[in-house]
Amino acid sequence: MRLLLRVLAPLFALLLAVVGLGIVVETVTLWVAPAASPLVVPWPSWRAAVEGLTWQSGSVRAVAIVVGVVGLFVLLLGLVARRHDVYLADPVPEVTVTTSPRSLARAVGHDVRSHDDVVSASVVASAKKITVKAATLDPAEEVRASLRERVDETLLRLPLARRPRVAVSVTTTKGVK
Amino acid sequence: MSRRSRRAVARSAGRDRVLTTLLGLVLVAAAVLTLLVSYGVFGTFRAQRPVIDPLLVSWIGTHATATRWIAIGVGVVLFVVGIAWVVRSLRPEPRPDVALSELPGERLVVEHAAVADAVRHDAETIDGVSRARVRLVGTPQKPALRIALTLVEGTDVRDVWADLDGRVLARAREAFAVSALPTAVRLELDASAAPTPARVE
Repeated sequence: MRLLLRVLAPLFALLLAVVGLGIVVETVTLWVAPAASPLVVPWPSWRAAVEGLTWQSGSVRAVAIVVGVVGLFVLLLGLVARRHDVYLADPVPEVTVTTSPRSLARAVGHDVRSHDDVVSASVVASAKKITVKAATLDPAEEVRASLRERVDETLLRLPLARRPRVAVSVTTTKGVK
Repeated sequence: MSRRSRRAVARSAGRDRVLTTLLGLVLVAAAVLTLLVSYGVFGTFRAQRPVIDPLLVSWIGTHATATRWIAIGVGVVLFVVGIAWVVRSLRPEPRPDVALSELPGERLVVEHAAVADAVRHDAETIDGVSRARVRLVGTPQKPALRIALTLVEGTDVRDVWADLDGRVLARAREAFAVSALPTAVRLELDASAAPTPARVE
């Protein structure tokens, strides 16, 4: 979402500037040289199209709904594009250390997969929560306990600023051991 | 945690986010208001009035000059906000040179590339670091370091920190003659099994 914001924000900005410029140009043209109006923006034809419409007209409602949907997307884009950095405890006051959720998941996933009884595993991590899903050929409950321990050990080695919650789920799959 | 080191973590998207959110709010508000009027929430007669309201048209007719100035004002504000936003948003993040001395006659400036290269070379000698990327952010008077370290699998983060602060950053601080240099470190954990081979220079 951050990338999308990075791409779309300058476009929105450009759009605002163009709309502003259009308003100024047309207003000044209409004022100073009415004969030359409209200069660039064909606003009289727009006006003719809107004339006769009431607030109840279907097209007014349709346009409003479209604008609302676009607006909702833009609003969500602005709200959702936050940083997802995982902060580590500061070694010294003027140093801030971060890592990415992906990197944290990779570190945890590496330790989980190195467990002998784990056939496959997927890890999703954020600053608040780490979710581990693993598959094993053995009884799930025992593997789950040892996996939990292993993840806790990994987190002990990583001095995270706040300890994320850990959720481990293990399923037993069929297969030859 | 100092504010300056925290701000050096990544380029801020705050301005983009605030303006985008505002734009979204305006669009949503306009749409909702239109729909409310349309469905007669503000009275059934209001809903039956034309969109280009005769009352508004007659007000504009009697206050032509005021309308023009309002339109020009709105246009100028939109234009200025839009252009400022475009410029801010597209401008690359500055890479400041570091001003060691501003005294007339003995002005001393260290180029960004020199600082970044020196710190990068130092950082890449740390045990367990396979790759380092270094740049300065902020202003020439108040620079901050941004370091991205790629760690080899199984490296103890605490050892890396000790080395980084005790050797790399200590040297940088010494070079800049400052007691504290705000630094943001980004770690890529377990990225590779072995250090990448040295690049051909």
